[in-house]
Amino acid sequence: MAANSGDDVTEAAIEITDASVSYMIRHGASPTLKETVIQAFKGKSQDVEIRALQNISIKLYPGEVLAVVGRNGAGKSTLLKLMARVLPPTHGRVVVRGSVSPMIELGAGFNGELTGLENIILYGTLLGRTPKQMRDRANEITNWAGMNDFISLPLRTFSSGMIARLAFAIATDAVSDLILIDEVLSVGDAEFQEKSKLKMKELISNNSAAVLVTHDLKAVKDMAHKALWIDGGRAVKYGDVDSVVDAYLNA
Amino acid sequence: MEKILMKNKVYDSSQSGRVFADTFRAFWDHRQLIALLVRRDITVRYKRSFLGLLWTLLNPLLTSLVLWFVFITIFRGKLPDGTQFAPYVLAGVLLITFFTQGFNQAADSIAQGSGILMKIYLPPQVFALSGVLSNALNFVFGLFALTFVSLLTGDGVSYLFILSIFPILFMLMYVTGLGLLVSIAYIRYDDTRSVFAILISFMMYLSPIFYPKEILSGKVLMIVNANPLTSFLDVFRFVFLNTGSASWGDWAYMSSFSVTTLFLGIKLFARAWPRTVVMM
Repeated sequence: MAANSGDDVTEAAIEITDASVSYMIRHGASPTLKETVIQAFKGKSQDVEIRALQNISIKLYPGEVLAVVGRNGAGKSTLLKLMARVLPPTHGRVVVRGSVSPMIELGAGFNGELTGLENIILYGTLLGRTPKQMRDRANEITNWAGMNDFISLPLRTFSSGMIARLAFAIATDAVSDLILIDEVLSVGDAEFQEKSKLKMKELISNNSAAVLVTHDLKAVKDMAHKALWIDGGRAVKYGDVDSVVDAYLNA
Repeated sequence: MEKILMKNKVYDSSQSGRVFADTFRAFWDHRQLIALLVRRDITVRYKRSFLGLLWTLLNPLLTSLVLWFVFITIFRGKLPDGTQFAPYVLAGVLLITFFTQGFNQAADSIAQGSGILMKIYLPPQVFALSGVLSNALNFVFGLFALTFVSLLTGDGVSYLFILSIFPILFMLMYVTGLGLLVSIAYIRYDDTRSVFAILISFMMYLSPIFYPKEILSGKVLMIVNANPLTSFLDVFRFVFLNTGSASWGDWAYMSSFSVTTLFLGIKLFARAWPRTVVMM
């Protein structure tokens, strides 16, 4: 258990208070602009409210790891968007103290025409660092990803495994106050997976708070302190990792 | 291990931001990223074609050449006194290219980047602005070609050419605003691109790109004059080539239209974006 949990001397890295996310979708909504405009003029559409998350509360201190478990469509992605500050809650409140590293869809900002090095600089800057920092760290990053010989070639010549390794190396090169991890532990071959798990543990051990979303329950028990089980946008169980995971498995 | 630091250390969702101040601050805070994105756009365009950067110039040059070739016999003599047709057309084509490509890229860059923008906290407006900026840069490259053509035809360049910065700046605002207004539709609806291609070509034909305004009258002239692109063209040709005339009305129309569009774009985008993110 992390040293800080329980006492309020340190402020929580992330605090979600009774947060809900809901939105309206037009019944039978069309994916084309023309039909949408025509529908709007006809004015006979029914709105349906979708409740993606309901009354979620989380408090996470520096050094703590929270695992979020649940089936597909349970609201895990929406919860991550709340924590990543991409989405404000419809009701309730989200407070994040410090920087956030979302390790989600790694490599989404890559460009195939640019070289490996140019991509390191661009992707790192997208993740909140400066181009200069990235230039200084480029060697370390390529070393760690094991691809020194290729770094001046366009990214489109890389294999998908190499791209995933490079993305992981860039994203894990610096640490934030809050780390959001979504299924990135399954990147690359067995050897690289082992290496990346160690890297993740190193990141988390830097007194950062971390949120782990994965279906790998072994990794959850291995790394997390607390767990949240959500289903249909609601919290089913929230507490210490063993009891939540066991309840989830028995459900 | 190095730690990423946060500028505004605490994020609180219950504190609703001031939309305009936040957007402009985001532009400033992410200026290094904007520079990188602009450079990426230019590099990618340059790498993709055999002729490299020259291609971006060749495109408007060839378009102008065709227009010149087809229309020179019709419009010669219809232009205001002392205006050569070649620089007239090229100036029009360059400015309209800035408009259409800037608009497309602003709207598109948010749609293209939506994968990352919906997962990582980055103000999407930054992507729109950098898309427009790279086209502004292309436009500036184009000014060298325009200068060359204008000297060749004996028209020369106005000593006021430095004032071109104003039509450029206002076009930047206008296009960024429009791009923001439309980007949400780009993400949500598949047919947005084709619908807007038609609207944009309406706007193009209803502005004096390759024909002189002097040949128009009545309702058509009214519509063309109401088109903000007409004011942009008048002002730009006047300050750069010293041909035609730009009234104070043109300046006022151009600037107020651009500023209004930008603020409207920022405002509506900020409102619509979270609703779009939540659905994805």
